[in-house]
Amino acid sequence: MLWRLCALAAPTEIPEATYRTKVSEVRVTFSATDRYDHPIANLKPDDFAVVDREVIVRNFRSFTRAEFTQLNISVLIDASASVTPHYREEILQVIDLLSRTAGVPEEDLSIASFRGLEAMAICKGNCRASHAIEQLPNSRSTGLTPLYDTLISAADSVPQNTDPQARRVMILFSDGEDTISKNAASDAIESLLANDIQVYTISPGRGDNAFLQDLASATGGRVFRLSEGASKVAEAVLSDFHASYQITYKLPYHSTGFHPIRILPTHDLNLHFRCRRGYYYPAGRQ
Amino acid sequence: MKRIFTLMLLCCRCSTLALADPGAPQEAVIVRMRLVVCPGPQHSFMMALSGSARVGPQDPCPEYTLLTEKIAYIVIGRASNQLVPLAETTKFRFQNREMLIRAGDSNHESHFMIKEMLLRSEWERVQQRNDAEARVISLREQETDSERNTK
Repeated sequence: MLWRLCALAAPTEIPEATYRTKVSEVRVTFSATDRYDHPIANLKPDDFAVVDREVIVRNFRSFTRAEFTQLNISVLIDASASVTPHYREEILQVIDLLSRTAGVPEEDLSIASFRGLEAMAICKGNCRASHAIEQLPNSRSTGLTPLYDTLISAADSVPQNTDPQARRVMILFSDGEDTISKNAASDAIESLLANDIQVYTISPGRGDNAFLQDLASATGGRVFRLSEGASKVAEAVLSDFHASYQITYKLPYHSTGFHPIRILPTHDLNLHFRCRRGYYYPAGRQ
Repeated sequence: MKRIFTLMLLCCRCSTLALADPGAPQEAVIVRMRLVVCPGPQHSFMMALSGSARVGPQDPCPEYTLLTEKIAYIVIGRASNQLVPLAETTKFRFQNREMLIRAGDSNHESHFMIKEMLLRSEWERVQQRNDAEARVISLREQETDSERNTK
């Protein structure tokens, strides 16, 4: 029957060939640093392997420097943290350094703060340090801190990333303490992962906060303390942006749900790789 | 009875293949890695009672699956930081019922406890079955989702 249909169609016009293939491919963006935390610019595909749900993947379909041309930055400020004049100044310096960088157009920088149960957009799409300076909170807010809920709504408010050349980054100024959220810490991390947002956290205190560590590590970001200085934070965000790699590989295991991933060295154990904690493989994709 | 006999035969075969010259260096490829609960020290109960051992949650330890030409080994590290490079080929040898894995180009060897060893063909069969089961579950979930959507 099929043959007859083809034979009938042939004399009049040549049908356009349509090739269909069912391929489950995983795409991972990551950055690599050496033992001194310096980005590695000449990484080779045999320098690392991916552990995808326990399966070790060494054969990649593609390996390229990530050709990001756009950096979408959203800055989220927890006003219940210590908003001392020094803290305020550092926030402005980070924003200033990032906004003066080539590749970060004005419309891609948004700033929001939250205090108590209210989140406030300081500027959206027209952010410069000079614009933000007037609206940054002056005083420390006391009371409730719905950090996890705010992170979820901030992640959901970022438009879906349809441009493969755009990288979405959140810079969170917070001490990592939550007092009232309806959602759990894991929900906040899951929401940021689902929206493919890389989180850099900057805490005012000296101690390490477990949630901030977990958040940054899960999303492929980094943890900083305010005492390390604005330039170090901005430098890290930009060096990760410029020295990222992208790999694709065939899905190694057709199990639905969350696939945790890790990137580990194949030769030099001093290499460190940062990437998101994993991805979701939906049901029914074969 | 037949099962016991097969098991005994398998154990004998594995041990003769693997331990022909236990100290000789061999090569394998690491195909699986996961983090598991660290194996406790041999006298952990006594140590815990005497208060000398740390009791409570610990960092997980790495567990690797290594494939040689004929045998699959599952080994566990004794510490959370006992990572080995995931190169194409990994050199190892046996010593005192432990597997010593060479860490990269250096001469340093890392000690691993052997948790399990089985014939490679058997291991591959198990993996294929697991993957097939995962595919079936995924398809069933898809069918359930589409049924829900049509209702």
